[in-house]
Amino acid sequence: MTTPLLAVEDLSFRFRGHDQDVVQNLSFALGRNETLCIVGESGCGKSVTALALMGLLPSDAVRFGGGRVTFDGDSYGIEDAGRIASMRGDRMAMIFQEPMTSLNPAFRIGDQIAEAVERHRRCGTEAARARALEMLRRVGIPAPEQRLDEYPHQLSGGMRQRVMIAMALANDPEVLIADEPTTALDVTVQAQILDLIAELQTETGMGTIMITHDLGVVAEIATNVAVMYAGQVVEYGSVQAIFDDPQHPYTIGLMSSVPSLTGPHRRLSTVPGTVPSIGQMPPGCRFSSRCPFAAPICAERPPLAPIGGADHQVACHFAPLETMQERRA
Amino acid sequence: MSDVILRATGLRKHFRTGGGMFARQSTVRAVDGVTLDVRRGETFAIVGESGCGKSTLARLLMRLLEPTDGRIDFDGRDISDLKGRDLRDLRREMQFIFQDPFSSLNPRMSVGRLVAEPLETHHPQMGREERREEVARLLGIVGLRPEHADRYPHEFSGGQRQRIGIARALASRPRLVIGDEPVSALDVSVQAQVVNLLHDLKAEFDMTLVIIAHDLAVIRHMSDRVAVMYLGQIVETGTTDDIFAHPRHPYTMALLSAIPEPVHGRARTRLALSGETPSPANPPSGCRFHTRCPFAREDCAQRVPELRPAGPGGQHAACHYWEEIAAERPDAGTPPAHERKPQAAARFALYEAAIDRLNDRPETAVNAGANDMTQQEEDRR
Repeated sequence: MTTPLLAVEDLSFRFRGHDQDVVQNLSFALGRNETLCIVGESGCGKSVTALALMGLLPSDAVRFGGGRVTFDGDSYGIEDAGRIASMRGDRMAMIFQEPMTSLNPAFRIGDQIAEAVERHRRCGTEAARARALEMLRRVGIPAPEQRLDEYPHQLSGGMRQRVMIAMALANDPEVLIADEPTTALDVTVQAQILDLIAELQTETGMGTIMITHDLGVVAEIATNVAVMYAGQVVEYGSVQAIFDDPQHPYTIGLMSSVPSLTGPHRRLSTVPGTVPSIGQMPPGCRFSSRCPFAAPICAERPPLAPIGGADHQVACHFAPLETMQERRA
Repeated sequence: MSDVILRATGLRKHFRTGGGMFARQSTVRAVDGVTLDVRRGETFAIVGESGCGKSTLARLLMRLLEPTDGRIDFDGRDISDLKGRDLRDLRREMQFIFQDPFSSLNPRMSVGRLVAEPLETHHPQMGREERREEVARLLGIVGLRPEHADRYPHEFSGGQRQRIGIARALASRPRLVIGDEPVSALDVSVQAQVVNLLHDLKAEFDMTLVIIAHDLAVIRHMSDRVAVMYLGQIVETGTTDDIFAHPRHPYTMALLSAIPEPVHGRARTRLALSGETPSPANPPSGCRFHTRCPFAREDCAQRVPELRPAGPGGQHAACHYWEEIAAERPDAGTPPAHERKPQAAARFALYEAAIDRLNDRPETAVNAGANDMTQQEEDRR
């Protein structure tokens, strides 16, 4: 692989007042034109990871234990808030799950998009407004000239998400972070939004980090996948590797819990139990309290940092599953 | 005894909105002429996107809302006009599971009281001791433990709270349970636990289940028959197998093709819909779907389609041109099952076997929570 556009190494942080990391030793690399999907269930740390990368976590509430970011050849620490703020909205942009709450209800959408342009490009109001109009057109909003002067409440959920995308992409960012951008939308609208993001990505060559809980979305758009559980990446690899050669018991459990649209009816497999709260995490593998294959060592010692090659890594003492069976037999 | 347990005929619910100082009054036709039969012992699913009126329909069927027009029969008896005591007696037979396990339980009541409350209402003759035992039994049935009765809702995870909601619904021993998106607020791994639980309970208690949902994959898993709704009306209905194998209405086709499948490297042709659902306050003329339908003909804007037979198995579709569209789109159904790579298939089999071993214990009290899990672990050693 050529030099990645964005590389993150060993990102760890915790909230003040807690003695356990909410995200632990997270590393990944993202190339131009690639999509990295971070997939996991609620509370796995996928959204706070996005916020950390964007410098949006309040500095008095988190303690970073480590984390080196390399963005287009420049390297900086994740705690370097000033550095990140100068790129935020410009070279790195983010869209959120709730288009309803992430737009300001008191301002016209044209002004909200123009604000992002004016902030980072030293250009006049006219030019910024022209750019806003161009962006609305690009994200497929009908009658953009009128929409420019409308307020968020006058738009439907899908349209609001398009406005969010227009705003995020107004400054041609190199990296787009999308946090569950389609979760609040209906499936037919979700399909439109995913197509739009893919289209814009091909046009601009940006790298996309997509945070989602939906394995269907992952299969459709990912280049690489990081499966997260309780703040740790348990499996990381290309989309082929994850779907054709899943090795971590959690990845397999998650996949077999998803009801399928095809094939014979079968009883759904589950992941037993629920995620322990952050204070009750086992010191070893955090999945060990729910893993049907857990051995005593699992709860005591963290799995050696990801085994496997650089293009497919699994954090499990016994992965792949069949090895586990043999060892324990 | 007829085999139809619940029948709706020409059901309508119109809401008046606005009419204040600033807004002009308008009528939202949330449910606009729905006729359906739910058969005894089946799982009947009502599917549609937001704003299609599925939740309103569920509340109408339960008599939580007054219909504007139309009739509902439960077990051969007209329940459209029941009031007071009769309505309360009906609730014993018909119960509701709500979508949001966070807001549907009173946070100031202990789990024991939450589950005992419907018992007090519907089985007042029950003594205190008997009721306590019944609560413990119900908690066990849904996979919680008797000592959970003393705790409060906030101490539980979303999946566990949904189990509490289910225990409450089961308390009066209803014959029909209506679930409004009962699993959609849950994470997939927990969702699977609750789907399995509902499946087991239905068999165990000989219940009929009506499920409202937007997730077609969940519906395929749970239900025997399906009704697809669009803008307050049913556009297609039939057995789950028929609907998924050969959808006839273009909206059903679009819904099916829009779902991203968790399978890598399979290109599916998507039937893209332009735009979004129009407002139910001002539905399009003729066929309500014509503004988004990729197959719309000129007269679709004028003529209102009725549900008409669209297959041998009782499938019905409300589309003037389903025959032509189906011929044009022979592959509109779900594609054949995806074959996993052998190594992956072997691992999935190992995983499922391990889960089965864990589940292979008396009681449905498996998978209830992390605590129970540790308990099971201890038991095994």
